[in-house]
Amino acid sequence: MIEFFQAIADPAVVATVLRVMTPLLLAALGVLISDRAGVLNIGMEGIMLSGALIGVLVSAATANPFLGLFAALIGGGMLGALMALFINGLGTQFIITGIALNMAALAATTLGLFLATGDKGMSGALQSGVLPNIDIPLLGGIPVLGPLLSGHHMLTYVAILAVPTVAIMLARTPFGLHIRAVGSDPKAAAAAGVSRNRVQFHALTLSGVFGGAAGAYLSMGYVSWFAQNMTAGRGFIALAAEVMGMGTAWGTFAAAAVLGIAETVAITMQTKGLPNELMQMIPYIVPAVMLTVYAARRQAKARSNS
Amino acid sequence: MTRSILAGLTEFALTALVIVLVILAVLVPVALSQPDPFEVLRLFVLGPFGTIRHMGNILEAATPAMMTGLAATIIFRAGMFNLGVEGSFFLGGLAAAATAVLLPLTGFVATPAAILVGALVGSLACIVPGYLRVRFGASEMVNSLVLNFAFLFAGVYFLNYVLRDPNAGALMSYKLPADFTLDRLLQGTRLHTGVIIAFVACILGGIWLYGTRSGLNVRIVGSSPGFASHLGLASSKLLMQAQVAGGLIAGMAGAIEVLGLYSRFSWTALPGLGWTGITVAILARENPFLVIPAALFLAYLQVGGDMLARNLDVPSEIVGLVTAAILLAVTAAAIFRHPAFLRLIRDIKGQERGA
Amino acid sequence: MAEGPIVSFRQVGKTYPNGTVALTDASFDIRRGSIHAICGENGAGKSTLMKILFGLESPSAGQVFIDGAAADTATPDFAGKHGIGMVHQHFSLVPILTVTENIILGHEPRSSIFIDRTKARRQVVELSERFDLAVDPDARTDTLSVAAQQKVEILKALSRDTRLLILDEPTAVLSPPEIEELFNRLRDLRAAGMTILFISHKLHEVRALAETVTVLRAGKVVGTTPLAEVDDAEITRMVMGRDVDVPRRQRQTTSAPVVLELAKVSTRSHDPADRIEDISLSIRADEIVGIAGVDGSGQRGLVSVLSGLMHPASGSIRLSGADMSRAAAPAWRKAGLAYLPADRYAQGGTASLSLADNAIAGTDGDKALQWGPFLRRGAIRQRVQQMIADYAVRAGGTGERLDSLSGGNAQKLIAARELAGSPKLLIADQPTRGVDVAAAALLHGRIDQAARNGAAVLLITADLDELLRLADRVLVLFNGRIVADLANHAGLTPAALGPYMLGLEKAS
Repeated sequence: MIEFFQAIADPAVVATVLRVMTPLLLAALGVLISDRAGVLNIGMEGIMLSGALIGVLVSAATANPFLGLFAALIGGGMLGALMALFINGLGTQFIITGIALNMAALAATTLGLFLATGDKGMSGALQSGVLPNIDIPLLGGIPVLGPLLSGHHMLTYVAILAVPTVAIMLARTPFGLHIRAVGSDPKAAAAAGVSRNRVQFHALTLSGVFGGAAGAYLSMGYVSWFAQNMTAGRGFIALAAEVMGMGTAWGTFAAAAVLGIAETVAITMQTKGLPNELMQMIPYIVPAVMLTVYAARRQAKARSNS
Repeated sequence: MTRSILAGLTEFALTALVIVLVILAVLVPVALSQPDPFEVLRLFVLGPFGTIRHMGNILEAATPAMMTGLAATIIFRAGMFNLGVEGSFFLGGLAAAATAVLLPLTGFVATPAAILVGALVGSLACIVPGYLRVRFGASEMVNSLVLNFAFLFAGVYFLNYVLRDPNAGALMSYKLPADFTLDRLLQGTRLHTGVIIAFVACILGGIWLYGTRSGLNVRIVGSSPGFASHLGLASSKLLMQAQVAGGLIAGMAGAIEVLGLYSRFSWTALPGLGWTGITVAILARENPFLVIPAALFLAYLQVGGDMLARNLDVPSEIVGLVTAAILLAVTAAAIFRHPAFLRLIRDIKGQERGA
Repeated sequence: MAEGPIVSFRQVGKTYPNGTVALTDASFDIRRGSIHAICGENGAGKSTLMKILFGLESPSAGQVFIDGAAADTATPDFAGKHGIGMVHQHFSLVPILTVTENIILGHEPRSSIFIDRTKARRQVVELSERFDLAVDPDARTDTLSVAAQQKVEILKALSRDTRLLILDEPTAVLSPPEIEELFNRLRDLRAAGMTILFISHKLHEVRALAETVTVLRAGKVVGTTPLAEVDDAEITRMVMGRDVDVPRRQRQTTSAPVVLELAKVSTRSHDPADRIEDISLSIRADEIVGIAGVDGSGQRGLVSVLSGLMHPASGSIRLSGADMSRAAAPAWRKAGLAYLPADRYAQGGTASLSLADNAIAGTDGDKALQWGPFLRRGAIRQRVQQMIADYAVRAGGTGERLDSLSGGNAQKLIAARELAGSPKLLIADQPTRGVDVAAAALLHGRIDQAARNGAAVLLITADLDELLRLADRVLVLFNGRIVADLANHAGLTPAALGPYMLGLEKAS
């Protein structure tokens, strides 16, 4: 047990947890915003994948990873907006819209990669940049805590700062209030003059921006390449994380942290010689188990109430 | 009666028109980027009908699409958004390969046994999320999405540690014994007897859904839970029946795909044919009989895409874009629930009743 | 500020695109600073009138004048521009938001990008003090009692410079002391210069509160009159209409055995429509018992305990002597229940499946229709065509979708299914609502026939003509209790039922 806690406090372990948690957290916050507005973003997987490719392409073209990140954010936002246009403009169901976006993104990113590099698998031929880690000057100097808090990836800090930001946005701003109202009861919101279409458009756009950031992190966070289908279901795990987080930013943070720890355990165990594939299952089984336990408890509670 | 048929044809015509427009919307920009735009369109549209061999390719590609489409249809008909078909397809293929490699079966029982094991094991990926929904109320959609990957890695583990041929170089299984293959039907293609199974399955699925009591009850539960409880139907049991049936078919689809096309099992990622099945099911308006033409149509697009890839510098992924766009277009309420269109359909039908 | 009426309706009519005429030639004035009541039965056109006045729908004929000027109705900002607030019968509050959030929703006070929460809270507290409507500004709305939610709804309606407040059946969900308090607040509002439009079924409430009443019947204004100048009998007559007698059903025998027996049955529920208290009744074979009462008086609760969808909290239910108090839906059906639900498409059938599917649903195990697990297509087609012919269902074919039929034809098909075999107990809940005259006559004949064949029939209907035509005995429900048990003889008229339904009288 003591060994376990020592392992947990190890700066290297903390760094790994944060590293694997970052894209999940960004994507899950994006899913959260869409879900609170009543249009769960199933297309997160596809938006992340698109963001990852756009980031690499723009970064390679401009030799500037920040421009790549910026383009990924814009691209993600545009895909989210496109979903909203389909859902509220053409009347497609949001689940099918998300599935279609995922299919289209997988095809389009492979296509885009091929057009840019002549290769369908990897973008190795492109000279793409890496977004930097940030050393926090004073914090880094503190013993014990310093190495835990400083020196992580810039998007890791962004993701963690996004948690209170999203929480405050939802709780304290007119936009957040409108999101909660539309997601909970669109008719009542409409009676108060709050338009569902407009709010869901903005919410999905913002959700897409988060997805773009999560995707950019995958292709420009620690590596400098894009690979076909490199999200590998992380968008779906983010979906599960959001559901586990019970619709709050802090809950989503906790769920993403649990999943990050699960993945870290999986990675650590792999290095200890346990079968790679079984460990890779962990981040997918944990959300299913937690989701089910949560649902079972809610059901039991509902029964005892009636 | 004739007017009902006319109304159906009108609806079909609108669907066809929308699909043609969508294909053109994706394809024309691509064609214009090529030196000979008309050749692109010609190859894509007419190419698949060019030779018997290419038409065989359509049937070959339609085989898994029909079966996963049927599986998704049955699951959706019960009102569940269980996306486990993808995982079932993968597991089914793996389990069939495992049966072939590990069990000392020979002769005419070998292939059916492998398909059966594939169906049984594969069905798990649909049953688990379905059960968690019926028993605990956990979202079958989110659970199936993540569990698909859990089943994938469990399968890859099994492949790596049990089935792997150390002499094969890459990660793949031992060779599947010759008794465990489906016979080829057409020289020069990989078309195999699985296509017959797929056709028969869709027809049987249609007969079950429309021609049996339990099929009717599943449709009632799926379309109106309130009516089902008014009738006192055992809703949970019916829901699970549909998940099991869908899972078995999807698992069988994977088994047939592996036994029919490959000499070794080598999937290390989800093959994506479950998603094709979902598209087929939605395109077929969740009717098992219509699954056949819907799957053939998507297969035709796939072969058209392959021909572009082979003959011109256009990657076949263009088909993924076309499929996604079609999926959105045919579910757009703004088109198919448009008041003007509904009125047209009502008018066509209405005159019959007035007469 | 202009003198004269605040609102004038002039020849206002509304015909919906599907041909339903909801309102014809409605003309009356609402006096500034008064409490004006609108009375009428379900479907008399009250809610259409309110939707027009609130700017949700535009009239298809006539004009609405506000402050003497012709108003452009059905524009998005109509209500806001004219200072009209509305409290709907079904609240339009977002359940997960706090009281303050609900009240400020759509016009939030801001400081930079944030909601100015101090200011918002102060606004709510001020509003609440000014109108003497005490609410906790920080409570989550779904934790509040219905009465408190209504206060929030009223405050929300008042939060935007409102001068005309519409209340749609505001007392339906309240207990008597809460009603008294609401009325005091409304009188205060009037004293402060507010004009109030009060829609109600309940005559004593109208009399207690309003000074003028407009009565609607079948989409027409029957009259607008100061309450001081009419007595209750006169208003009841205006609401219920002509005392035309209807032909009544003749029972073959009055001594058939008792089939259904309820003894002191009560349910517990937050929703008054599901709440019944101390109901005792018995129905014999060949007897039709009609339930009258305004919507939401407990009818839904009564039907739910008699079909296994809800279990009574106390009391006992026996069907042909067998205890059914705890029986679930399948057991009720097995015991011989046939049930025509009020909601045809959510419970009575499934809209997206075919007529044949709908007609044979629930006949599991019928050897004539089934061969092992397989359905006999030919036999089914024959059976369904027979049903279609017997019940004169106008349909293209057995393969058409249920929702392709008109309401009357769909209901006839559902009745054909439910009445097949010989049910012991038939519950008919609004069997002819929205159904054309010919279909209604056919359905009436079949219900009568079912009783003659030995069924005990419970008929729940808002259509009093139908009630008097069919029922042998009429029970009136009010607030979940039976307030009258009347034999249906030639002298019984809608006007005679009115006082019980409106809660003015109680027979023991």
